[in-house]
Amino acid sequence: MKQGFIRCHDCGNLVKIVDKFSQCPRCDSHLHSRSPYSLQRTAAFLISGILLYIPANVFPIMTVDQFGVGEPHTIMGGIIELIDSNMLPIALLVLVASILVPLFKLIGLSLLLLSVYFRWQINARFWTVMYRIIAFVGRWSMLDIFIISILVDLVNLGGVAQIIAGPAAIAFAAVVILTMFAAKNFDPRLLWDNQQNL
Amino acid sequence: MTFFSFTLLYWFLYFTKLTIKSIGRMFVINDMNSANYGACPECDLLINLAQPIIGDKVHCPRCGFLLAHPRKKSIEHTFSLSIAGLILFFPANLLPMMGIEVMGESTNGVLFSGVMALFNKNMWPVAIIVFLASILFPLVHILLSLLISGHLYFNRSNRYLTCWMRWMQHLDEWVMLEVYMLGIIVACVKLMALAQVEFGWGLYAFIALLIITGMLTSKLDNELFWRRIGQLNKEHNN
Repeated sequence: MKQGFIRCHDCGNLVKIVDKFSQCPRCDSHLHSRSPYSLQRTAAFLISGILLYIPANVFPIMTVDQFGVGEPHTIMGGIIELIDSNMLPIALLVLVASILVPLFKLIGLSLLLLSVYFRWQINARFWTVMYRIIAFVGRWSMLDIFIISILVDLVNLGGVAQIIAGPAAIAFAAVVILTMFAAKNFDPRLLWDNQQNL
Repeated sequence: MTFFSFTLLYWFLYFTKLTIKSIGRMFVINDMNSANYGACPECDLLINLAQPIIGDKVHCPRCGFLLAHPRKKSIEHTFSLSIAGLILFFPANLLPMMGIEVMGESTNGVLFSGVMALFNKNMWPVAIIVFLASILFPLVHILLSLLISGHLYFNRSNRYLTCWMRWMQHLDEWVMLEVYMLGIIVACVKLMALAQVEFGWGLYAFIALLIITGMLTSKLDNELFWRRIGQLNKEHNN
């Protein structure tokens, strides 16, 4: 940007800055030196994500109904039951995908936002790698939602056994989608802009 | 059998290079002034890029971002893979994937019935997300890559090419077939304890589709595609 060039964020073409509102000659998209309103948008998605993370963990995510006796499970409850029935690897997988990953994402993105906002002098390379991990890992949290969709469909045997999705499923899906949007809107180049000694 | 025939189709399309011209055009270097320069998308470092050798990985020296990873015959491979993917999409969605049997009662499900089951139980926000991530977005992604690579393969210009390419790049992240596959595995393990699980042909088609889309995204060289689209549009305008 200092050298008077802008990288088109869609096609990666390097364009010389001519006037303020110019378009990329190759793909016609609007040029921005940084993602517009990156901090504000990320913060908005992130805060809604954090707020929805609470109901996602408190409310039951699904109810297993066997012979008319239903027992609701929260996300954590489902994992504990998996451990009890000797399925440790699967329990670990679900634990990582549906509790650790969203938590790591929420904390990591908040740290990234704070460091840009307060212009902390940090190891930008390390934090960029952290951003990359957050952006990559986000989609794997959808695992729990897909499991519910499969289970609700298959285990539908009338009076014998039935699985009903709970209100936490909506909240959890919203957390995953919102944090994905937050990660997409965050511009890691902002991390590098604040560093005085590169 | 299905998977075998589609791999056969893929190799057939790969070996029969219909136009030899298009291979030569792949290595044309962009004639723009700033063509040899690039900026890292994650740290904005201005880099003098040499034309990378096929198969090499180019990382940003400052932040380590993977800048370019050109693949051999990216356009041809993408074209044939997206045809195979499009064909596989239908058995993966229409044939029953798996079923369970408990006390004489049995159920089986396809991809879409999971969505409907959620929809009928007043969980329509989740149902919509599952529908988008596991059915609609993969289909659109395959269709777009078929359209784009088809146009590039036959050297046709189209004014919507840039628009399609942009959409395909944005959709890439939302195609969650591999996450769904993991979901199937976990659901199976959970159900094994309760009931007898049976697998249908749909599941095998789904696994094949998963492999095809995985290969498709790894073969797709965005940099090359944009360069070719730019060239085609320039030729078209002259």
